[in-house]
Amino acid sequence: MNTSMTDPSRDVGAGWRPGAPVWCTLALACLALALGLRVRLEALMSLHMLVQIPLLVGAGLFAEQGWHAARRARAAAPGARPAWSYNEYGVPGLLLVSLVGAGWMIPKALDDALTDWRVAAFKYLGLPVCGWLLRVSLRRANVVIKLFFLGNFCWMGAIVGMTYLDQPIRLCNAYLQDDQDWAGRGLIALAIVLPSCWLLAELKPVWRFLNR
Amino acid sequence: MRWVFALVLALAAGVGALYGLSDGFTVLTAEAARRQDVAAHPRAIPTAQVLAGDGHSVDLRRDLRRDGRVAIVNFFYTRCLSLCLAQGSLTERLQQAISARGLQDRIRLISLSFDPRDHAPDLARYAVRMGADPAIWQFLSFAQPGQRDAALALFGITVVPAPLGEFEHNAAFHVVTPDGRLARVFDLDEPGLALEAAVSLSGQPLAAGTRPPDTMPPEARP
Repeated sequence: MNTSMTDPSRDVGAGWRPGAPVWCTLALACLALALGLRVRLEALMSLHMLVQIPLLVGAGLFAEQGWHAARRARAAAPGARPAWSYNEYGVPGLLLVSLVGAGWMIPKALDDALTDWRVAAFKYLGLPVCGWLLRVSLRRANVVIKLFFLGNFCWMGAIVGMTYLDQPIRLCNAYLQDDQDWAGRGLIALAIVLPSCWLLAELKPVWRFLNR
Repeated sequence: MRWVFALVLALAAGVGALYGLSDGFTVLTAEAARRQDVAAHPRAIPTAQVLAGDGHSVDLRRDLRRDGRVAIVNFFYTRCLSLCLAQGSLTERLQQAISARGLQDRIRLISLSFDPRDHAPDLARYAVRMGADPAIWQFLSFAQPGQRDAALALFGITVVPAPLGEFEHNAAFHVVTPDGRLARVFDLDEPGLALEAAVSLSGQPLAAGTRPPDTMPPEARP
C-alpha cells in the first residue's frame, strides 16, 4: 500500500512514518464515511456528534498530514522556519478550533445542521478546515500549550455531557431523549479517552518536561 | 505584532461562529430559538384542512377567523402515553381557568393531532377522556399529509418516530390569533403566561368581519 516502508532514504532515525498516500487515503476515507453514511449518522444525535463531526475533522487533519508528508519529502533542507508564521506556537489555531468545537456542543447547532443549509455548509466545510488547522497548530505547539487546550476542551466536553445526561427534557428537537443520554455518555467518555491517548502518544515529551 | 493580529483574528472568527450558532448568544436550543423568533416575527399559518371529532372537516385558518377567539394550540397524538398526557392535564387546567375567569368568549383551546392514524372517533374519545368542554376545547387532526407537514414546519414542530409506534415531539402552548397568525409560544411549564398572552391579544381590536369583542369585563363574571 505504501512505498515508504521499503524506501531507506526516508526519515532516518524516527522509525517508519507513513507517507502522503496513506494520509490522503485516510482523509478521503473519513470524508467518504462522513458523507456516504450521512443519513444514518445524522439520524442519531450520538452518531452525529461523536462520529460524523470527528470524521469531518479527521478528514482535514489527515489531509494536512498528507500534505505535510509530501512537502517534507520534497524539501531537502529540514529545520527551516515554516513559511506561515502567523500561527505562532499554534495558539491562534488552537483557540479557533476550541471555539468551533465548543460551538458544536450547542444542541441548536446539531438541530440547525439538519434544517439550515448555512449551518450545514459550516459543518461540512468548516470542520475539515478546523481539522487541518488543528494539525498545523499541534505541530507548532509545545506540551504546555497542548495540555492547556486539550484540558479545556475535555472539561468542557465532560460538563456538556453531564448536562445532556442530566436534562429531563430533550435539547434537540430532531433527536430522542434516549439518544441525548447516549451523546452525553459519549462526550464524557471522550473527555477521558482523548487525554489518555494524548498522554500515551506524548509520554516522552511530557516526561522530559516533568523532569526538567 | 503578527501573532497578536492572528490571535485577535482567531478569537473574532471563533466567537463569531459561536454568535452565529447561538443566535447572538441568546439561545442554546432550536426550541428556544423558535420561541424567540415567533415572538419577534409572528408567523402566518398556512391553509390546512382539519378534521374535527364530529367528523366534519374545516379549513383551520377559516375556522379561526370565523370563530374570532384567540386560540391556544398544542400538538398531540391520541396514542401517546407520556408527554401528551401531561400536556393534556395542563390544558385541562387551562380550560378550568378559562371558564373560571369567564374568558370562554375570548379564548379557546385547540389540540391538533399530527398522527395520520387519528380519525374522528379517536378524537372524540380522547376529548371525553380529557374532560374537554366542546365550547372551549376542540380536538382536531390534519386531513392531508402535505398540509400537515407544511403546518408543522410553520409552527416549528419536529415529530420524531420513537420505538413502539410512539412519537417524540416538541410540546408547547402556541397562541394563535383569529387572523391566523402564530403570535407567541410558551413552555408547558408556563400555562399561566400563555393564558395572559392570549388575554392581552384578545383585547386587541379585531379585524373587520370577525366577532366583536366581549363587552363585559372578565372580572365582572362569576
